[in-house]
Amino acid sequence: MLRSARQNRASNGAGVNLHEWREASRERRMSDIEFAGISKTFPRGRSEFTALDNVSLKIPDKEFVAIVGPSGCGKTTLLRMVAGLETPSSGVVRVGGRPVHGPGADRAVVFQQFALFPWKTVRENIAFGLKCKGMSRAEREKLALRYVEIMGLTGTEDNYPHQLSGGMQQRVAIARSYAIEPEVLLMDEPFGSLDAQTRILMQEELIRISRVNPRTVLFITHAVEEALYLADRVVVLARNPGRIVEIMDTRPTREAEGWDRLASEETMEMPGFGHLRAQIWRLLRREMQAPSREKEKT
Amino acid sequence: MRTRALIGGATFCVLFLSWYAATDLFQLIDRHRFPSPTDVLVAALQIINRGYAGGTLITQCLYSLRLVVLGFFFAVLTGVPLGIAMGLSRRFEAFINPAFLLIRPIPPLAWIPLAIVWLGLGDSAKILVIWFAAFVPAVINAYSGIRNIDPTLIAAARVHGASSQVVVRDVLIPGALPMIFTGLRLSLQASWTTLVAAELVGALFGIGRVLIIAYRDIYPAMIAVGMISVAVLGALTTKVLSIVEERVIRWRHT
Amino acid sequence: MAAHLSSRQARHELALLSLAGTVVFFGLWQGVAVSGLVSNYVLPSPVEVITAGLAMLVEPFAGNTLQGHVLASLGRWAAGFALAAALGIPLGLGMGHWRVLDAIVSPVFEAYRYIAPLAWVPFAALWFGTGIGGPIMVIFTGAFAPCLVNAYRGARQVERHLTEAARTLGAGGARVLLEVLLPGALPSVISGLRVAAGLGWQSLIGAELIVVSSGIGYVLVQGQSNLAPEIVMAAMLAVGLTGLLIDVALRATESRIKRRWGQPA
Repeated sequence: MLRSARQNRASNGAGVNLHEWREASRERRMSDIEFAGISKTFPRGRSEFTALDNVSLKIPDKEFVAIVGPSGCGKTTLLRMVAGLETPSSGVVRVGGRPVHGPGADRAVVFQQFALFPWKTVRENIAFGLKCKGMSRAEREKLALRYVEIMGLTGTEDNYPHQLSGGMQQRVAIARSYAIEPEVLLMDEPFGSLDAQTRILMQEELIRISRVNPRTVLFITHAVEEALYLADRVVVLARNPGRIVEIMDTRPTREAEGWDRLASEETMEMPGFGHLRAQIWRLLRREMQAPSREKEKT
Repeated sequence: MRTRALIGGATFCVLFLSWYAATDLFQLIDRHRFPSPTDVLVAALQIINRGYAGGTLITQCLYSLRLVVLGFFFAVLTGVPLGIAMGLSRRFEAFINPAFLLIRPIPPLAWIPLAIVWLGLGDSAKILVIWFAAFVPAVINAYSGIRNIDPTLIAAARVHGASSQVVVRDVLIPGALPMIFTGLRLSLQASWTTLVAAELVGALFGIGRVLIIAYRDIYPAMIAVGMISVAVLGALTTKVLSIVEERVIRWRHT
Repeated sequence: MAAHLSSRQARHELALLSLAGTVVFFGLWQGVAVSGLVSNYVLPSPVEVITAGLAMLVEPFAGNTLQGHVLASLGRWAAGFALAAALGIPLGLGMGHWRVLDAIVSPVFEAYRYIAPLAWVPFAALWFGTGIGGPIMVIFTGAFAPCLVNAYRGARQVERHLTEAARTLGAGGARVLLEVLLPGALPSVISGLRVAAGLGWQSLIGAELIVVSSGIGYVLVQGQSNLAPEIVMAAMLAVGLTGLLIDVALRATESRIKRRWGQPA
């Protein structure tokens, strides 16, 4: 693949040896995500509500997968299962071949509400995961500052979260997650609280970082365009009950139309992009208008 | 929800059994200092049937309850209107405030010796102190209740042509009721605390007197009975207040 | 009505009213005391009260000077308060985070809460005699509940995604408690400390009325048995003033912390 203009920009602007960083990322283990027959039911009064019904999905190592779907389709639940914050009613979630048993630093989460510790500075927030790992103070500081630079946060190290804009706060959250070099990055509608312009900038930022330091990413969103722009594959989920209706691979179209050489607004004007977008919308519309499938089961 | 109740019940059982084992069964604790379940039961039966420190359990409880109720009602009848008046009129508040600020930090219990100097060891001294203890939270909360009403509601009333009287009657006072009731709950709590203290210091009758006589007689089981009675009375009166609150503030969702 | 008085003139008016109120209050008091309407053994005049108070600063009464008594009381209060905070805060935080702990402790706590703190005085006296343990225990029972309840509420309102974020970054139980729950709950905890301080101080005075032989509460009792209301009232003012100073100091700490974290003070 040709190095895009954006990638060139990345290594010039950041002032950090991105080559080193990229090399370091290759040394990690294979970390694929596997959902095997996942179901999740909640008790509702006397009956049950099926949030997810026998969902199976494999995400290979270093693939960027987005899940889209209407609210209540269970996409956040799937992410939380990988994070270890929720357990499936049946089925197993595996990361790198190992079943998930609880939260851990190998699966970092970026939350929609940023979840930055309000009483810690930017520097301290980013260093938090490193502290949990038992790193010495000097090493923590060095690494945290490195990520401050990479995420374009220079100058804010000693600020508190409430002093930063939404976009900056989310950058800190992303830096905090990247700092622990997780095997898997889980992002739960991370740009949902941002205004439209900041959102677009953050999407471009995320592409830049993930091209330089790729890892397995599971990205939840209800914005179809965002999903298509960012991800290698887009999984469309329906609700009632939650299940996969379609998985679309953007890579053929992405390469054919050269999205990586374009800015985001140009990408979204491309016919291939529009075609995929329309397809997904048709699916979503159909699912939203269809009666609940629950009644069809015996 | 049910697991929670089960765990709670289990904890009580474990605690009770340990208590029983430590005192009755294995005699690990000196029963002159810490009563066993059987001791407490015996003491309870004694005070219920034959009486202690001058009366049966019922008489003692009723005596104390009467004092609390009197002090509480006086406090509510004086405190709530004062608080409302201070909330309604900044001028009135400015006038009263200095006196209030001087008196407010003094703990109600500190009034007991003065009340005894003024009124002796009888009922009136205790009612006075209880009145004072319940008065302060009632005033403060009534005041806050009025002041914290969303000004938009007042504006909405005025825009509909409501006169000042109507605004006070139909917007301010109902709006302040939740906070007033919070104040009443605090007042009730303070009333019981003060009653117990006042009766401990000097009384001829009542639950506090039971406690003090039991202490002098080195009768820990009776002390326990007294404490349990205080707790039960406190819980009962609080429950009654809750019921009244629910009736009065039907529009509130908890 | 509570109309919007915003002009400087209005504020002057209010200040004048406060002044008037103060004058009226002290004037009435002085007037009634001096007039002979009420026996001087009952209502001493403000002047007499202040004089008695100042006298006690210099001459010992009931074993110590006024400030000596106040310090003795403060010492007991501080010990009981520290104990209540040391036990109540971690327990409250833990209960707020781990539901099992909450289920175990809550019922017992609710039952204990209904017992007025001073009802413990007989047991305290029985177990500790006139030693320092008695008042400390009573102060503890008064100060414990607000410490625990506010730590609990504080921990509960720490947003779930903060503890989740900590766990997904690799934090274990102890770290979550110390680095997330405690700082997150700190405003509420400080608020609880403020309430606990006040309640502890009140319980102390109550305990000192009954079972000790030094301290400001003892002064109150001695003043009462000597039928010297001016001493009683001077001591009452000392009690109130000390309690007020404690509250002001804690309030200032509370504001500082809230401001640091960008919350309204």
